[in-house]
Amino acid sequence: MTVVAHGIGGVRDLPVPESFFFTTAAIVLVVSFVALGALWRRPLLERHADGRLLPRAFQTMLLSRALRILLGAISVGLLVLVLSTAFFGTSLELLNFAPTFVFVAFWLGLPLLSVLFGDVWRVLSPWRAIADATVWAIERTGRVAEPLLEPTQRFGRYPAALALFAFVALELAHPRPAYPRTLGVAAALYTYWALAGMSVFGRDTWTRRGEGFAVAFELLSRIAPFAVRDGSIVVRWPLTGLAGADRVPGTLVFVGVLLGSTSFDGFSRSTVWQNLLADVRTSMAGEPQWAIDLATTLTNVAGLASFVGAVVVTYLGAVTATRRLVRAPRSLVPDFVLPLVPIAFAYLVAHYFSLFVIQGQFLYSLASDPFGRGWDLFGTVDFAPNLTLVSPETVWYVQVGALVVGHVAGLAIAHDRAVALFESRSDALRSQYPMLALMVLYTVGGLWVLSQG
Amino acid sequence: MRRRRLVLTVALAAALLAAGLALASCGGDDEATATTETTEPTTTTVTDPATTTTTTTAPPPAPSPTQLRVRVVGGAPQGGIARESVDRGDRVVVHVTSDVSDHVHVHGYDHFADVGPGMPARIRFRATIPGRFVIELEDRHAQIAELTVTP
Repeated sequence: MTVVAHGIGGVRDLPVPESFFFTTAAIVLVVSFVALGALWRRPLLERHADGRLLPRAFQTMLLSRALRILLGAISVGLLVLVLSTAFFGTSLELLNFAPTFVFVAFWLGLPLLSVLFGDVWRVLSPWRAIADATVWAIERTGRVAEPLLEPTQRFGRYPAALALFAFVALELAHPRPAYPRTLGVAAALYTYWALAGMSVFGRDTWTRRGEGFAVAFELLSRIAPFAVRDGSIVVRWPLTGLAGADRVPGTLVFVGVLLGSTSFDGFSRSTVWQNLLADVRTSMAGEPQWAIDLATTLTNVAGLASFVGAVVVTYLGAVTATRRLVRAPRSLVPDFVLPLVPIAFAYLVAHYFSLFVIQGQFLYSLASDPFGRGWDLFGTVDFAPNLTLVSPETVWYVQVGALVVGHVAGLAIAHDRAVALFESRSDALRSQYPMLALMVLYTVGGLWVLSQG
Repeated sequence: MRRRRLVLTVALAAALLAAGLALASCGGDDEATATTETTEPTTTTVTDPATTTTTTTAPPPAPSPTQLRVRVVGGAPQGGIARESVDRGDRVVVHVTSDVSDHVHVHGYDHFADVGPGMPARIRFRATIPGRFVIELEDRHAQIAELTVTP
């Protein structure tokens, strides 16, 4: 369960069989075209976005200071545990707590939590907790805690996109991402990035613009039926948080990194890419190891970047076509970015469901011996994970199911945006043709990657 | 109204296309099974009499294990990444010869063996977990083979 391509685990799902591929592709096409004519004619999502307040008892409990302090302390404790196991624990990926925690529990678990319960990272982020505690301590001494620079919106979400790209490059391009020491250095660097950014630009600004995970989880949490509005928790229709346009620059590139990296993860484990990397190695036989590693890393980064680029370029192509079709007076780029968010989540589920279920079990035994020193803190060290917990058929159904549901959700949000934007129904419909083509491309493309041998 | 009819026509066309795809998928299925059948002879041609005699510790009626052979030169597999597909429950023997010292790691099953000049590695196991498993040289993190276990 060490390295190769994905951050952890050299195990791939069996390819989705052709019958699944064609049936799902057919469903996607039919649903798309039927939806085009049958969906609502007046914007629906924004109207339901307000939701209703949770009962007062829940509010006071969930938003209580005590709970926030408790969660903050736990998450800072986990960050310290990850850093110390990564630096001082065993150097075997298999037996160290950090790799499985970071690549499985954190990176796959938090998107799921965000989609189910809303922006929980806001209270679970260890970096935010450290910043909050620092501000509290400064203000207690009677001074004013101010960011070093004026908060600026100039950079949009580009810093966050850069941070996320750095993380996925470690996960997917580095020859040995799960090697504990490498991971320790990466976690330390990221901690610096998050904390320095918050102190320079302010906690809120950096959380929304620069901290890659916070931005990713916040975008995904807009799918969730829960949200915090004006200091209270509301229940709302799922997906309503994705209504409207997102005018923050860099959002498209950020979503591109999210979508592109997941699909590259699938593709990088295909026969084509495996053989390419083996060829690179063969051609460099006799060179020192670091040179070979560098060459394979650069090849992977190039592949990753082209997948991200492909998402951005195809999206720009689709919105440009839309603009021509309806003769829109301004760019439509900010208007149809958010429909891509459910598709990005669908990709995550499709690619990592089995890894999450199988590899996640190892945490049970790792919790007892996080440093790999033969401890048995909770008596769970001998726990034998069930590696056949989910059958290949179940995995296939989850994969194609996630892609279809994500596709339909994306379609619905784009449609809602279109009827909100264009007064004439024919414009709204026409504007949807390129978007529809784009989403069919993403969904069938994602499906194709899953069906690759 | 005209718009509505256009949408209906398009939907109908899509439904027809879908039916076509579904039909094509049935054909695709047959093809898939046909190709797995044709790969079976290649499995047997790989079988080497010299090693099959050494692995007769298992009960005699059991089919001979599938042999997966890789020759590593300079840290890279000769002739590209070796690929083999077996059914769940089959026995597998992975043979690796290498001119460099390293550890062979069968992912998922997590079997390890040392390998080096004059010291071939041999890993024997029963393929009980379905999936696709990377076999690599652990220290070089270089993939040398892939084993597919079909359910």
